[in-house]
Amino acid sequence: MNNIWGDMTQYEPVTWHWVIAVYLFLAGLSAGSLLIGIGLRWAKSEINSAQEVATLKAAAVIGPVAICLGLACLIFDLTKPFDFWLILVNYNFESVMAIGVLALLLYTPLAFAYAMIVLRDDLPKWGMAFLSPIAMALLPMRKLIEGLLFVLAIGVGAYTGFLISAMNAYPMLNTAVLPALFLVSGLSAGAAANSVLALLMFNSDVHDFELGRMHRLEVPVMAVEILFLLMLFSALYFKGGAAAAALASLSTGLWANVFWIGVVGIGFGVPLLFMLLPAATRHSKGAMLTVACASLTGVLALRHFIVYAGQSYIS
Amino acid sequence: MKKRYVMIHDENRCIGCQACNVACRSENSVPEGVTRLQVRVEGPFGEAPDLHFKYHRVSCQQCENAPCVTVCPTGAAYFDDNGIVTINKDKCVGCMYCVAACPYKVRFMNPETKAADKCNFCKDTRLARGEDPACVSVCPTDALTFGDANDVNSEVSKLLNTKISYQDKSHLGTQPRIYRIPTKRGGIQS
Amino acid sequence: MIELDRRSFLKGAGAGGATCALASILPGSLAALEKEPLKALGEEVASICEMCSTRCPIKARVINGKNVYISGNKEAKSFGGKVCARGGAGHDLLYDPQRIVKPLKRVGKRGDGQWAEVSWQEAYELMADKLNTIKKEFGAETVAFSSKKGSLSGHFFHFAKAFGSPNTFTHGSLCPGAYVMASKAMFGTKLKRDLSNAKYIINFGHNLYEGINMSETRNLMKAQADRGAKLVVFEPRFSIVADKADEWHPIRPGTDVAIALAICHVLISDDLHDKAFIDQYVEGFDEFAKEVQHYTPEWAEPITDIKATDIRRIAREIAAEAPHALVDYGHRATFTTEEFEMRRAIFAINVLLGNIERKGGLYLGKKAKTYNKFAGEKVAPTLAKLTVEGMPKPSAKRIDQSDKQYTMTWKNGGIYQSVLEAALNDKPYGLKAWVMARTNPMQTMNDRAKVLAAMKKMEFIVVCDVYISETAAYADLILPESTYLERDEDVADKSGKNPAYYVRQRVVETIGDTKPSWQIFKEAADAMGIGNLFPWQDMETRQFAQLNGDAQELKRLKEKGYLSYGKPLLLREPSLVQAFVEQYPQAKATDADGTYSSQLKFKTPSGKIELSSTQVESFAPGRGVIRYRPVELKQADELYFIQGKVAVHTNGATHNVPMLANLMSDNGLWIHPVTAGKLGIQTGDRIRVTSSVGSEEGSALVTPGIRQDTVFAYMGFGSKTKELVRATGKGIHCGNLLPDRTAPVVGMNLHTTGVKLAKV
Repeated sequence: MNNIWGDMTQYEPVTWHWVIAVYLFLAGLSAGSLLIGIGLRWAKSEINSAQEVATLKAAAVIGPVAICLGLACLIFDLTKPFDFWLILVNYNFESVMAIGVLALLLYTPLAFAYAMIVLRDDLPKWGMAFLSPIAMALLPMRKLIEGLLFVLAIGVGAYTGFLISAMNAYPMLNTAVLPALFLVSGLSAGAAANSVLALLMFNSDVHDFELGRMHRLEVPVMAVEILFLLMLFSALYFKGGAAAAALASLSTGLWANVFWIGVVGIGFGVPLLFMLLPAATRHSKGAMLTVACASLTGVLALRHFIVYAGQSYIS
Repeated sequence: MKKRYVMIHDENRCIGCQACNVACRSENSVPEGVTRLQVRVEGPFGEAPDLHFKYHRVSCQQCENAPCVTVCPTGAAYFDDNGIVTINKDKCVGCMYCVAACPYKVRFMNPETKAADKCNFCKDTRLARGEDPACVSVCPTDALTFGDANDVNSEVSKLLNTKISYQDKSHLGTQPRIYRIPTKRGGIQS
Repeated sequence: MIELDRRSFLKGAGAGGATCALASILPGSLAALEKEPLKALGEEVASICEMCSTRCPIKARVINGKNVYISGNKEAKSFGGKVCARGGAGHDLLYDPQRIVKPLKRVGKRGDGQWAEVSWQEAYELMADKLNTIKKEFGAETVAFSSKKGSLSGHFFHFAKAFGSPNTFTHGSLCPGAYVMASKAMFGTKLKRDLSNAKYIINFGHNLYEGINMSETRNLMKAQADRGAKLVVFEPRFSIVADKADEWHPIRPGTDVAIALAICHVLISDDLHDKAFIDQYVEGFDEFAKEVQHYTPEWAEPITDIKATDIRRIAREIAAEAPHALVDYGHRATFTTEEFEMRRAIFAINVLLGNIERKGGLYLGKKAKTYNKFAGEKVAPTLAKLTVEGMPKPSAKRIDQSDKQYTMTWKNGGIYQSVLEAALNDKPYGLKAWVMARTNPMQTMNDRAKVLAAMKKMEFIVVCDVYISETAAYADLILPESTYLERDEDVADKSGKNPAYYVRQRVVETIGDTKPSWQIFKEAADAMGIGNLFPWQDMETRQFAQLNGDAQELKRLKEKGYLSYGKPLLLREPSLVQAFVEQYPQAKATDADGTYSSQLKFKTPSGKIELSSTQVESFAPGRGVIRYRPVELKQADELYFIQGKVAVHTNGATHNVPMLANLMSDNGLWIHPVTAGKLGIQTGDRIRVTSSVGSEEGSALVTPGIRQDTVFAYMGFGSKTKELVRATGKGIHCGNLLPDRTAPVVGMNLHTTGVKLAKV
């Protein structure tokens, strides 16, 4: 039958586009970066060294900046961006987004506070000496802030997954593993971004101890990520019906390419290939930056794949 | 007693003529390019000459367990006193979470108000005047029945009690209040 | 580069005489006016729709000066207060920026789309000057007048007659003419269908679920869904009515007549026909019975691709339900040049079933005069016929009057397409001017190129319409008519089983400088010096006179919009006659069987139903008895090309109405998967369809809902003039593919042809 019922564009399955994918990426990156930074600090034997390590400084920069960029994406994707304050005064606590807003409302200022603490010695160098008194005032509360921020970062990292997994019409999104997958891939992105910034901004040495420790996390994180992806796809496969139909996204269309080239090839393949290189080569600054950028690209591609392919298959 | 408004779409009687689509647009001043209601004539399915069309009403399902209401961060989407899923356009920020979350894809952003929009059983216009929704009142073949399912004597109660009906995507647990009487192949005697 | 100096620019854009060829805003269109809120003329006004030819009773309510909500008028019971998509969207005409609200004069070459706004006075003067000059030089008969049938054609044809031309045409020969003439040949009058009470209905592609005629559509659904009627559909395409049917038989296009004759054969040979009915009412049965002896279901099978066993079974099934069973005689016709035989053969089945004036059968309209006579009292007022003294008698014959076989068409709207041969080849004589009102032959007449050539040959063309239609685009003068929501019109007769009247009324104040056509042609007549033949002052005085000065009844009619009188009466149905007699004590005495059977008379020469007709034989030798004649509708290597109606458009008229254009603006061609597969065509592919007269590019819709040897498209798409912005260039223009072929006797434009298909 010919279409006699009119325009169908409003029914196109993909509602949320790349801006949201980028937001999910940036929020995950922010959380992952801080989780890695703080986690490594806690895992260190003597915590109270006067000198902040370069990877933590990187995390302190990435944490607040990435979340702010992400929120900017989110706000300007609203149809009424100038009414965004409504979302800060009206809460529906059944809504994952409302809970996320609350979490971000706490997380974002804490990320800034923590950044001031960690970067207190660098502030004057960057012409932000006026912030130093605040940083010094916050310093005594570091432990509390660090602890809260760590918990909230887990929340924010996972929230990006919960946000889209709460939509039960989409079999690929509506899975228990998605928040975990997003959290882990956020860690992966955070680690990569931390090393890039540590190397470029805080002149970290390629043989830096902290960098090395972070580097050693990469393979296990990646392994967990791959495991979660396998779980996601096998769950879809065994669920059958519309869920199994969603697996077509792995074999057809643009998003299959994004997955195999972006997520698998660049995100997992490039870092793994570099591991086969001789130690000298793979520990060069160039190699480390390449691996980090590949990881970041992979994570960004994963967010796009999940957002687009996920919305394309509705049950 | 609180009302439980439901609508029944008899796919046997529906001829896919779009009278409902147009009446809805006129009554509710729905802007060009977006739509609250369409009936898609899908198919024909089957092997000739045993073919059949499916008359698929696409509009808000007025779910009792509405994903759009659950996900709305500001409470702009809510159930009114009679259970009609309603939008407070002044509270809507346009995050499109409801549009994304609706399993039926029947929410859209109104280009004039910039807020989410959809069928609300004509509650501001016709229902307020005590009339049936526009689609029901114009349907040439009486394929639509609307009323209070809590009233055992209502037309809708009688139909639901005597005819086989189904709800779209009921496996998602949304409990739509649009019921559909499926097409009986090869003729439409009841 | 074109140089525009200030002077020529000002000249081009000057007010009043704005001429622009390429501007996005059409001169004379609503877009050129400032948008003002609608001014409602009542809270809810009862009126009559005009979005198609059915003309359903409606009610219209203005919403916030912005929209109009149109519903059906519940006073008209069989219409149920319902309205279709087209009717519901009618208000979109009102504020469509592309609507014409100023008279327009052509200033460039014909069809170039260069227009200048003129005042009504200038328009009338131009019209008077041109038409009167042509009349003086060549005679009034060289001006053709054509109009959509209905409220407007009355005034329009009155104008034509006052002018002195016999050449008036409706769109009948392009659409429903055949069944009307077949009915008149056999019964002396048009018949109506009592669908809702039928227990068994055979339908030859009368697609009431897409070509919506509100009361009949509802009645068919009522019969099917509420009363369990069986519906059998013979149609080459799986239409909506085919979907809703109990049986769909994909018949070979144009062979319906063979099925109808085979059913007649079974009814007679199996002795299933109503012999008492035939004895009492039918003339020429024996000749007919002798003829159908040859038309066995086995004979029909290879012609129609329908199994003989099915035909035989269906004939027996419908006979078992007689007389409460009917065969639908259709609406838009001309599947074959043998239209006359086909429609008569369908009526013949109904006659054999003896369903005339029975519930679930066919019946004659009961207007006030007849009804009152039976009731023995004045149940309903009769409408006065407003006649004018001193109308000129045209001395010339009609252009379609040279062939006697078309006798019946002359009083039934004529053979519209005969305008083409007259204009192009002076057959039987030349035409110099063409005046049209709300008709769009460039879309609805066969062979668009020929229509265009004919228009180009005319010295003067006037078109009255609400849009610059595909036809108006080639006019010299366009007269902008008010939409139906801005017009008052004559009281119309809507009698069925009992008398009923309804009336069109203004819903909103007129927008822009438009006028109702009755006023346009009255004022034009004044300018032409024949104003004395239009003695009425305005519409109100006409309505008043129609109701014989009964102001109270007129007021009631205007309030309700639709008035029905009495109760349904079918002369041969005992229960209805009994109820009628109980209601009216003065009623005529019934026959012994409690019916008015003996009172049933037909307006034929014999006063009976003429199953075979000596009258028809006299003007169309060989056609007195219904007979099968093989017809060549396509070449062996071609596909049948057939068309039909869609629920959201009216063939030549609605494709630019914004709401409806937004619902559907393209008519993807239905192609069977096997046919498409051979050509490598998939749904959505661009395809080219070529016939003997034209070639169209469109898109493909691959579907099992069509025969392998047939392709189908919805009518009315693919407009080719730039003025209809929303419709132009979208879809397949059916008229451009159909050759100008005319069916014998009924003069119908043939709507089936052969085409070749290719992937672009």
